[in-house]
Amino acid sequence: MTTQQVIQEMREKFGEGLRAAEEPAPGALYLTVDKELIRPASRHLQDKLDARFVISAGIDRLATEGCLSVTHIFSRDKAKQFVCLRADVSENGAEVEAITPDVVAAGWSEREIQDLVGVKAKGHPDPRRLVLPDDWPEGVHPLRKDFPYDANPEPVEGAEVKFKEAPEGTSTVVVGPFYPVLEEPAQLRLFVDGERVVGCDYRGFYNHRGIEKLGDSVLTYNQIPFVAERICGICGFIHSSCYCEAAEQAAGVQAPRRARYIRSIMLEVERIHSHLLWLGIAGHILGFDTVLMQAWRIREPIMWLCEKITGSRKSFGMNLVGGVRWDISPDIHPEILDCIGQIEKESLAVVDAVQGDTTLLVRLKGVGILPEEDARSVCVVGPTARGSNVDIDARVDHPYAAYDELQTRAITNDGCDNWARVVVRLEELFESIRLVREGLKTMPDGPLMVEFAEEIPAGRQGVCTVEAPRGEAIHYLITGENNRPDRWRVRAPTYQNLQALPLMIKDETIADVPITLGSMDPCFSCTERVETVDVRTGRQAMLSKEDLLRLSQEKSER
Amino acid sequence: MILSKLKEAIICLGAGRVTLPYPFAPHPPAEGFRGKVEVDSEKCIGCGGCANVCTPRCIVVTDPSQDTRVLEFFLERCTYCARCAEVCPEEAITVTEQFETATNDTQDMHIKAEVYMGSCQRCGRCFETSTALDKLMVTGFQGVPESGE
Repeated sequence: MTTQQVIQEMREKFGEGLRAAEEPAPGALYLTVDKELIRPASRHLQDKLDARFVISAGIDRLATEGCLSVTHIFSRDKAKQFVCLRADVSENGAEVEAITPDVVAAGWSEREIQDLVGVKAKGHPDPRRLVLPDDWPEGVHPLRKDFPYDANPEPVEGAEVKFKEAPEGTSTVVVGPFYPVLEEPAQLRLFVDGERVVGCDYRGFYNHRGIEKLGDSVLTYNQIPFVAERICGICGFIHSSCYCEAAEQAAGVQAPRRARYIRSIMLEVERIHSHLLWLGIAGHILGFDTVLMQAWRIREPIMWLCEKITGSRKSFGMNLVGGVRWDISPDIHPEILDCIGQIEKESLAVVDAVQGDTTLLVRLKGVGILPEEDARSVCVVGPTARGSNVDIDARVDHPYAAYDELQTRAITNDGCDNWARVVVRLEELFESIRLVREGLKTMPDGPLMVEFAEEIPAGRQGVCTVEAPRGEAIHYLITGENNRPDRWRVRAPTYQNLQALPLMIKDETIADVPITLGSMDPCFSCTERVETVDVRTGRQAMLSKEDLLRLSQEKSER
Repeated sequence: MILSKLKEAIICLGAGRVTLPYPFAPHPPAEGFRGKVEVDSEKCIGCGGCANVCTPRCIVVTDPSQDTRVLEFFLERCTYCARCAEVCPEEAITVTEQFETATNDTQDMHIKAEVYMGSCQRCGRCFETSTALDKLMVTGFQGVPESGE
């Protein structure tokens, strides 16, 4: 179905309710509907037009257009197209109908918009706070333009976390916020009947760093790539690439061919090291530390290689809007080929050894099942989706960087369990090695940066996705005044994947929860890139909450 | 099962010892590594381009008097992107390979560069002179020519 047909169908269905439709760049269709129609229009996109929910963005347009907007972004994967569905509401009575009852995957995004922009989702099945701390005052929405980026409102005394009630006959096992398996904070409350998990509640977002707010209030276009790559410590390059591609789309320019090849090669290098890192962690979670030691040993040379190419093991600092800063010169090609050749050889040996290891298999096969149907409805991404036989891969569906020429395929597996996700990642590892080889061979000569004729005009939009090792990351950008975006929305893959956790651990034993969580390669810091000022948490122990808060604030002061 | 364990054992034995003796033996980084920056205040012309691109905003430019511009680098906040060195038109900022910057005294991570500037007759603010000769005419100029060797 072409763009024109989509617009045609939406117009027939919703008539005058479809206020505007435009496609400024191929692959991104922007529709504006009346706010009453947001739910039926979303449902129609999902059910009839084969669109997969990706993320929502709440936007404060009070100063420019006198309204607040909610934009739901969908992906029509096979048509290689994003559909952004926008509805405007006035400041008084900022409320839209929730789409979550129809589009299950929008659960978190709508709660996030309630918290940060203050547009209520009417009829949301779980309207609790998601992002803001529990002692954050009501009615203060940090992504509004009148909220200064460094404001720190007075905490509300005696605020309590609203947890879900445990179902009758179950006990609650609290895991976190700090626990030894994954070194990032998140609180899981498992409702268990004996050893069996019946359900769970999740409270996360302890790691807010205010990145999106900084993007539209402090940073400039070319500073954001360096902050974007610090969204994640493991797959940082994907975020800076994704931001840059979105900004280039908004500016109406394209990075030169060679720069795009360099991006693709570095993205694959990052995938190689990330998948090896993950393999090690998965072994570690299962108490099989040999896998951890050996996977990380095999991985180390590629980190040194990154240092040689870019000047740093991680946080390459390579991307700018319009291209890359450094070349991958032909002198270093033999070294890269040697390094990945060695990694291929050693990884094959490890794969050969562990795939017959029953200690691993009994912990992975048939555990953490996510049926294909659920995977589709929760809209999980990356290996978590592909391990449940959902055929999506941003490199194939929305080619970016040089993937229009460096062809790859979505590697799927129909096992739907933890083992399937392992197999998908291992196959991807070897596919990445192949892509690096091919990229080096076919990389064209040419400049690394495109010349900009003038500044990026305000009001343009760009949306881009990049396939991270954990799944697709999305950056949505609206350009603004003062050499910075008006809104920069980021979604990391774990944001969507974590929402499938209750389904994956249902009916498992407590002991299998960590590896099931681990099997989606979660990255909480990525997920929680969102908003505002400080990590504010404190538990009553020897120190009072206030003491802890004061101590941590003193520590984080410059 | 036994075969798998044997294969795993062979991998481990084949790898041998991989831990490096660092810090007891030095481990220099690869060429092109982005470490702590150095500032040559004699080359600096006070344009402030570095402060403009600095993402963590750790370069602060102030004009304490009509003829002086001070650039302060608070490098404990530096994220080592080397954008300042990239945009510097005079190559006054260079990236070194120094990465062992842990210290008890944050002063060790501060660099202060004073630059003598021309001052505007009307508003009194600092500005960069257009030629090197003009710069020599600036009151209080203390620049030292680079050695010819």
